[in-house]
Amino acid sequence: MKLTLEIWRQAGPTQEGHFETVQVDDASEQMSILELLDHVNEGYIERGEEPFAFASDCREGICGTCGLTVNGRPHGPGQNTPACQQRLFNFTDGQTIKLEPFRSAAYPVIKDMIVDRAALDHVMEQGGYVSMDAGTAPDADTLHVNHETSEYSLDHAACIGCGACVAACPNGAAHLFTGAKLVHLSLMPLGKEERGRRARNMVDDLEANFGHCSLYGECADVCPAGVPLTAVSAVTRERARAAFRGKDD
Amino acid sequence: MTLRNPDREAVAHGHITNEPIRQKPGVPSWVLKLIMAVTGLLFALFVVGHMAGNLKLYLPAEGGDEALDEYGAFLRSMGEPLFPHEGALWIIRAVLLVAIIAHIYGAFALTARSKASRGKFRRSNLMGGLDSFATKSMLVTGIVLLLFIIFHLLDLTLGVQPIAPGDFAEGAVKANMIATFSRWPVTIVYVIAMCFLFLHLTHGIRLAASDLGITGAKWRQTFLILAYVIPAVVCIGNIVMPLSVALGLVS
Repeated sequence: MKLTLEIWRQAGPTQEGHFETVQVDDASEQMSILELLDHVNEGYIERGEEPFAFASDCREGICGTCGLTVNGRPHGPGQNTPACQQRLFNFTDGQTIKLEPFRSAAYPVIKDMIVDRAALDHVMEQGGYVSMDAGTAPDADTLHVNHETSEYSLDHAACIGCGACVAACPNGAAHLFTGAKLVHLSLMPLGKEERGRRARNMVDDLEANFGHCSLYGECADVCPAGVPLTAVSAVTRERARAAFRGKDD
Repeated sequence: MTLRNPDREAVAHGHITNEPIRQKPGVPSWVLKLIMAVTGLLFALFVVGHMAGNLKLYLPAEGGDEALDEYGAFLRSMGEPLFPHEGALWIIRAVLLVAIIAHIYGAFALTARSKASRGKFRRSNLMGGLDSFATKSMLVTGIVLLLFIIFHLLDLTLGVQPIAPGDFAEGAVKANMIATFSRWPVTIVYVIAMCFLFLHLTHGIRLAASDLGITGAKWRQTFLILAYVIPAVVCIGNIVMPLSVALGLVS
C-alpha cells in the first residue's frame, strides 16, 4: 500500500522540531507502525542519511517502551493497543499518517520521537513500591486475599508505564497512571500498610508537572494495558482519605 | 516539548530536565477538584429546587393570590421565627455566592495548570460524541451560564431596566414572569441558556461522581443515569415555562 508519512524530526531537546514528508510505496498491511518506521529508516541508512529515532523494545506489547502519536492519537487508531501492535490495515491506501512524539509539557523530546518520561518515574519514586522488607514468599493460605480483590488489584497492576495516558489527556494529567498504582497497592496486604503515605506523596508530586482530570476518558481508551477509567477517581479519593485520616496506612 | 536551555545537571543523571513545570501551588489541584465537585452538586440541587418552585406558575390562584406569588412570599418568610424576615433566604444567597466564587476560581486555576501541563501541542483527534463535546466545552458553557445568571438576576430578581420588563413590580412574581417572557428575544435567551445548562450539568454530575471517588459499578451507573435525567428534567421544565408564556398559554 502507498502511504504519505509526515514524521517529526527534532535534533535535540533544545532545537525546534518540524515534520518531514516521506513517501512509502511498498508498505504492507501486516506491518506494524514501528515496522513501517524501520522500513523508512532502512532507506535512509542505505542513502547514508540520518534515520528517524524512535523508542521500542519488546514489540509484543508488554514493555511500555514504544509510544508515538499517530494522527494526533497516542499509539495509533486502535483501542487499547500499543504502537508496536498497531497494524497498517487500520489505514487506507494513499492515506497521510502523521507520526510525532508523545505530546505533553512533562515529556521533553530527546530526539525525533523519543521523549523523556522521567516525570512519571519521579511520581513512582514517591511511593510506587512496598518499602518494608517483605521477606521470602509466605506459606500458601497464610495471607488471605479473595479472588475478586486480587483480580481487581491485578487489573490496575497491569500498567506498563508507557505514559500514553498523559499524552492522550487534553489536560496533560497522569491520573490513570497514578490512580492505577494507588488502587493496585492499596488492596494488597503489604501495600495497604502505606496506603495513606503513598497517596499523599504520589498525588502531591503530580502537582508539579501534571494537569487535572476532566474525565475525557481518552486515557483509558488508548491504555495498552486496559487500566479501567475508574482508576482516575482514586487520585482525589485516596488523597482526601489520607488528608482526613492523617495516618500512614 | 522543546527546552530553552540544556539542563546539564539533569543530563549528567540521564534525564533531560529536572525542572518541574510549576512550583507546588498553594491550593493543590485535588482540593480544587473537590471544591468544584461539591459546589457544582450544590448548584445542581439548587437548579432542581428552583425549577420545581417555579412550576407553581401553572397552579391555579387560591383566594385571589397567585400560587407563584405566595411561593415567592414564602421564600422571604421561611425559617421565621428562628431567623428574621428574609433571614433564611439571605443565608442561601450567601452560600450560593461563596460557592460560585469558589467554583469559578477553581475552574480558572485548574484550566491554567492543565494548559501549562499539556504544553503547546494541543490534543487533536478526540473520541467525539456528546460527552466528549460537553467535556471540551465546560469552560465556555460555564462562562455563558455566569453571564446568564447575571442577566437573570437583573431581569427577575433586581428588576433593573432595560433588562427587566417596564412594569416590573417586586413581589408580583407571576406578572413579572409573564411580562419578561412576552418579549421574544428574552425568551430565546432563556431557551439557549438552558441548552448550555444541559451540557454543563450533564458533564458536571458525571465528573463530580468521579472526583468524589465513586468507583463501584452500581453507583457509577446510577450517577451516569442521573447525569442525563437531572439536566434533562431541569432544562425541559425551564424551557417549557418561558415558551408557554411566549405562546400565550399562560395569562
